[in-house]
Amino acid sequence: MLQQDSNDDTEDVSLFDAEEETTNRQKKPKIRHPVASFFHLFFRVSALVVYLLCELLSSSFIACMVTIILLLSCDFWAVKNVTGRLMVGLRWWNHIDEDGKSHWVFESRKASSQENKNISEAEARIFWLGLIACPVLWVIFAFSALFSFRVKWLAVVIMGVVLQGANLYGYIRCKVGSRKNLTSMATSYLGKQFLKQNTGDDQTS
Amino acid sequence: MAEAAESPGDPGTASPRPLMRDLKAVGKKFMHVLYPRRSNTLLRDWDLWGPLILCVTLALMLQKGSVDNEKDGGPQFAEVFVIVWFGAVTITLNSKLLGGNISFFQSLCVLGYCILPLTVAMLICRLVLLAEAGPVNFMVRLFVVIVMFAWSVVASTAFLADSQPPNRKVLAVYPVFLFYFIISWMILTFTPE
Repeated sequence: MLQQDSNDDTEDVSLFDAEEETTNRQKKPKIRHPVASFFHLFFRVSALVVYLLCELLSSSFIACMVTIILLLSCDFWAVKNVTGRLMVGLRWWNHIDEDGKSHWVFESRKASSQENKNISEAEARIFWLGLIACPVLWVIFAFSALFSFRVKWLAVVIMGVVLQGANLYGYIRCKVGSRKNLTSMATSYLGKQFLKQNTGDDQTS
Repeated sequence: MAEAAESPGDPGTASPRPLMRDLKAVGKKFMHVLYPRRSNTLLRDWDLWGPLILCVTLALMLQKGSVDNEKDGGPQFAEVFVIVWFGAVTITLNSKLLGGNISFFQSLCVLGYCILPLTVAMLICRLVLLAEAGPVNFMVRLFVVIVMFAWSVVASTAFLADSQPPNRKVLAVYPVFLFYFIISWMILTFTPE
């Protein structure tokens, strides 16, 4: 059921899993892991808030910088190792094999209707919202720091972009599957649609 | 990304990764730097938490002036960060271009962890600077920094040199030498105003 070995063919994760899941099982609108959901958003949003309000909160640049770095680190660890697994059943990591070669592994938990650890819609929404919105904001802050010449903040902002961007990239790759890349998935999907349309035309005409 | 490997004991993708295991792994790597011997630990289970902690600690200790000052050492903090990370990335790229078979993050991990002796040197220097200034003071700090610099270089080359073919070892190692030299220089020339 759970794909542990990345060398086997990984499970195809269709882009439209969410739709299939809702028809096959009862909806679970409740949040099943409230602590994880809270912390998923807490560290990211606090880092952004401290960055924006640093002048008001404390006269010490160093204290703000260290606080933001601490929050970004906690957020990275929490999102990569805890909230992704609990909230959406995805995980990614790096594996160094015997020869010293490094492999990146992206896994997703196969959803089955008997399994009662299903992914709740509300949690998935919170997860992806937090995951996507924050790096975008950090990128915007990077440009604003660059162009307004507040260069001393640039180190921290770039760190925010890199850490949160890495999580975003990792989870998107988990979602679309580790063996296929995005273009081949899109091509196969379009191909299927094209065939469906053509056979549909043949049947109606 | 910041750490490698899930061990086979993990119950599955649904379970969160245990925090204690990561903390113990970081501690174990610090021990490996302090007592370097030929082992694969730093390379196989790399993580970047140790380098981050060391970098922040070093940057905090290299601050001039009081922390409450309006013009406090913002630029110096960012400067240490940039030197450490940019330097480590450059060395890694150099090593990869020379054909080394070590991955990007493994190399960053080793270089970052081997800053530990120099961080200890910084700590000692700050303590020594509490005493009266003078040539004796300087000689003590010089001695400490030289010893820790040699320790850092030896520790990192013990891990990195193996990944290079024999005729390229020196080419791969001299940037490491330069990197730790610059950090040692920053430590030695530090004076709290």
